[in-house]
Amino acid sequence: MKITLTVNGERHRVDVEPRRTLSDALREDLGLTGTHVGCEHGVCGACTVIVDGLPARACLMLAVQADGGSVDTVEGLADDDGTLHPLQEAFSRCHGLQCGACTPGMLMTAAHLLDTEPDPDRATIRAEMSGNICRCTGYLGIVDAVADAAAHRRARPEEAS
Amino acid sequence: MTPTDEHAPASGTPVRRKEDARLLTGRGRFVSDLALPRMRHVAFVRSPVAHGRITGVDTAGALEVEGVSAVFTGEHPAIAPVALRAQSGLPGYVETDQPPLARGKVRFAGEAVAAVVADDRYLAEDGAEAVVVDYEPLTPTVCAWAEPEHPVHEEAPDNVLLSRTFRAGDVDAALDGAAVVVDRELTTNRHGGNPIECRAGVARYEAADRKLTFWSGTQVPWIVRTQLAELLDLPEGNIRVIAPDVGGGFGVKAVLYPEDVALCLMAMAMPGTPLKWVEDRVEHLLAATHARDHRYVLRAGFAADGELLAVKADVWCNTGAYSVYPWTAGIEPLMAGGLLTGPYKLTDYECTVRGVATNTSPSGPYRGVARPSTVFAMEALMDSGARALGLDPIALRRRNLILPADIPYKMPSRLVDDSGAYEACLDKAVATFDLDRWRAEQSRRRTEGGRPIGIGVGVYNELTGLGRAASAGPRMAFRTGHDACTVRINPDGAVTVFSGVTSQGQGLETTMAQVVADALGVDYGDVEVRYGDTDESLWGFGAFSSRQAVISGGAAHLAGEHVRGRALALAAALKEAPVEDLDLRGGEVYMAGQEKPIISLAEVARVAYLQSDRLPEGFEPGLEGTKFYDPIRGAFAAGAQIAALEFDPATGEIGILDWVCVEDAGRIVHPVIVDGQIAGSIAQGIGGAMYEHLVYDEDGNLSTGTLLDYLMPTAGEIPELRIGHVSTPGKNPTGVRGVGEGGTLAPNAVVAGALADALGVEVDDLPVTPARVWELVNP
Repeated sequence: MKITLTVNGERHRVDVEPRRTLSDALREDLGLTGTHVGCEHGVCGACTVIVDGLPARACLMLAVQADGGSVDTVEGLADDDGTLHPLQEAFSRCHGLQCGACTPGMLMTAAHLLDTEPDPDRATIRAEMSGNICRCTGYLGIVDAVADAAAHRRARPEEAS
Repeated sequence: MTPTDEHAPASGTPVRRKEDARLLTGRGRFVSDLALPRMRHVAFVRSPVAHGRITGVDTAGALEVEGVSAVFTGEHPAIAPVALRAQSGLPGYVETDQPPLARGKVRFAGEAVAAVVADDRYLAEDGAEAVVVDYEPLTPTVCAWAEPEHPVHEEAPDNVLLSRTFRAGDVDAALDGAAVVVDRELTTNRHGGNPIECRAGVARYEAADRKLTFWSGTQVPWIVRTQLAELLDLPEGNIRVIAPDVGGGFGVKAVLYPEDVALCLMAMAMPGTPLKWVEDRVEHLLAATHARDHRYVLRAGFAADGELLAVKADVWCNTGAYSVYPWTAGIEPLMAGGLLTGPYKLTDYECTVRGVATNTSPSGPYRGVARPSTVFAMEALMDSGARALGLDPIALRRRNLILPADIPYKMPSRLVDDSGAYEACLDKAVATFDLDRWRAEQSRRRTEGGRPIGIGVGVYNELTGLGRAASAGPRMAFRTGHDACTVRINPDGAVTVFSGVTSQGQGLETTMAQVVADALGVDYGDVEVRYGDTDESLWGFGAFSSRQAVISGGAAHLAGEHVRGRALALAAALKEAPVEDLDLRGGEVYMAGQEKPIISLAEVARVAYLQSDRLPEGFEPGLEGTKFYDPIRGAFAAGAQIAALEFDPATGEIGILDWVCVEDAGRIVHPVIVDGQIAGSIAQGIGGAMYEHLVYDEDGNLSTGTLLDYLMPTAGEIPELRIGHVSTPGKNPTGVRGVGEGGTLAPNAVVAGALADALGVEVDDLPVTPARVWELVNP
């Protein structure tokens, strides 16, 4: 089936089997391998992307379901000139990543959290991020990073994207 | 020294990780991401039965499926001659074969029976569904301490692949003389690493020059190359193993798997066609290695003052269906027997360990290897001893710890402990935790009501950075003592390091750059590190036993110092200055007493490569050096964890109120990476203690085959861990001690100890779940 996806602001026409997952369409057809696949049954959250403004498990969605929609992935977080998103900066500063496999999903979940809840406390961050499994960090650095990015955003609202 | 002379060392500071820029922007280079021209995809057909004879495999239907180009079975001529055979010289060890694809019979549910090659993974799975396999079931054995009806391997009729008794002193006499004797019988739960990136490989074979390239998410590329050369009958130099970015490992990827070997054999049968296999999570839970399915029957004797007099132990480790390649079935039992006594002094010890085959997924290395179980066992004895003697459990531990004055301390298993920092860790943990405050809160709740609080303690030693002497125990065909590192100053003065490390998130690219920057005298930003590629770096055994910071770090330091010496010698000749007066800092050569540099490293390097006319007589061109390092023994790392947990007797609900860990990581290269290793390993330990359980039913079916059943802790479960340090530098070039695994060792003991302390019930079987708590409280 021929579908149209707007990924990180760029329109793509792709021809996919109806059974093709959105994660495979992003990774295999568009070459956007930043979206990782950790369980393929919707639990680990590594494949989290933003579909039409809401976080979604790209492994549980068929590509055809996103036809005509917009998809934001980790590749779209940084500016075109390479300037990192405040969350990416904070993850690096706070050691919110080790192997990087869960990181794209963590970043997309956190980006949505900060878009909808600019001032989350640590308990809120922990609850909101609990749909994403990290096997490396013990979550300390991740919670620190999200809190740090939120504080940074509140201090410099003009940089919020 | 004037302020301008100062060059801040990179080590000891939280420099920005070199890995982060690509991993944060979706530009990581994982095996799963790899796409090559003409690449095809592989799906494995896996056995649905735990134990049975294969009476027929029909691949005709699969070959009819659109896009399917080949189907391989265990009897295929490309596969049939090969078997993985984990070797050890230990007396009584029973060697057994593991076929790349099952031959004749299957030995666990999930074992790969056939492999389908197709244009994409969807079509390969279509093909796999069309393969028809007939099985004649045999009675499976799931429990390692049950008599088998049909042995897993004919060579081992009782399923015991390995047994060894560790003996020191006279344990029976010591028990006779004890004031109290306590008995415990414990089991620990099967669980596994479950890195977020599952196993993955791409194999490409070029027939013209007989060269195989294997991209693999492995922790041990050089071991993989050596073993593949033997299994595939290729010259070792014709094999290139590349482990690029790897999405977590934790030991699970330190194994050469039958699927890996099958993929390479199939690629050799299909020259010029790269073959890709990316495991899914269901396969991972079924067929990647598991760990820690153990049973401990224990007896300990204490003197009236609390001195530990004797430990007698019988240990069964479930090794699963195959002796894990190349480590052998000894990996868990030998670690269990060797390290059971942990940080405690003991002279009279007897421990028989067994590795027992069953019809379950093979057991392999998993972060902490056996010691989360042995620390649970040892700390259970300490807690039982304290209760029997009416002593404070922390005081009882203190009474028996190996102290600085005892170092070097020969443990009853004859391993030599060089740490002695246990009491320092325990003291600092107790102080940070504020034990008195929690004891007061505990009594307050006992009198005024509220959920009962328990305080659990775990003290442990982690044997890190094993050198050639310490890794002798398993008597394998290889001895994992050393790594190599090459430091090259490029013609422009920047530095490329070819390290033997592999990294699955530990930040070794960063750590090696820090070590080399300081040893050489250049800025961290001017050092690039290449790793994980057997064609680039000389040698590294890989990531296991918390060894790389110690061993590869040692090699990096030595290589950096060596090249620094060469650069200074050349600078001295060029500037006609005495070499002993020269110093290299921040990429500039300084002369003692002079504020300004006399020559830059870039100019020295330019001469070394491009201006041989300026080279002094006898000075070889180039600025490069390679060094190996082997610490011979290793560096024991001490640690202590203490936590307060609350339990709801009505529902069994468990809450972690506070968790403190203090470890001795020696000298710390990157403080944030070190804390990240500790926090991550505690989280995995808590997962094993409270949530993660791979459960087989009696027919050998894995009943926890998805992440809906196999629960890994999230940010909602892991508490705000508080991490502290004591620092006694290890005797190695950088003074570090490994920190990769220590955190996993205590949570079993801490959670079980807290439950006993809160509710007065001894927990003998892990994990400690709300259901388990409720059962214990309502027997």
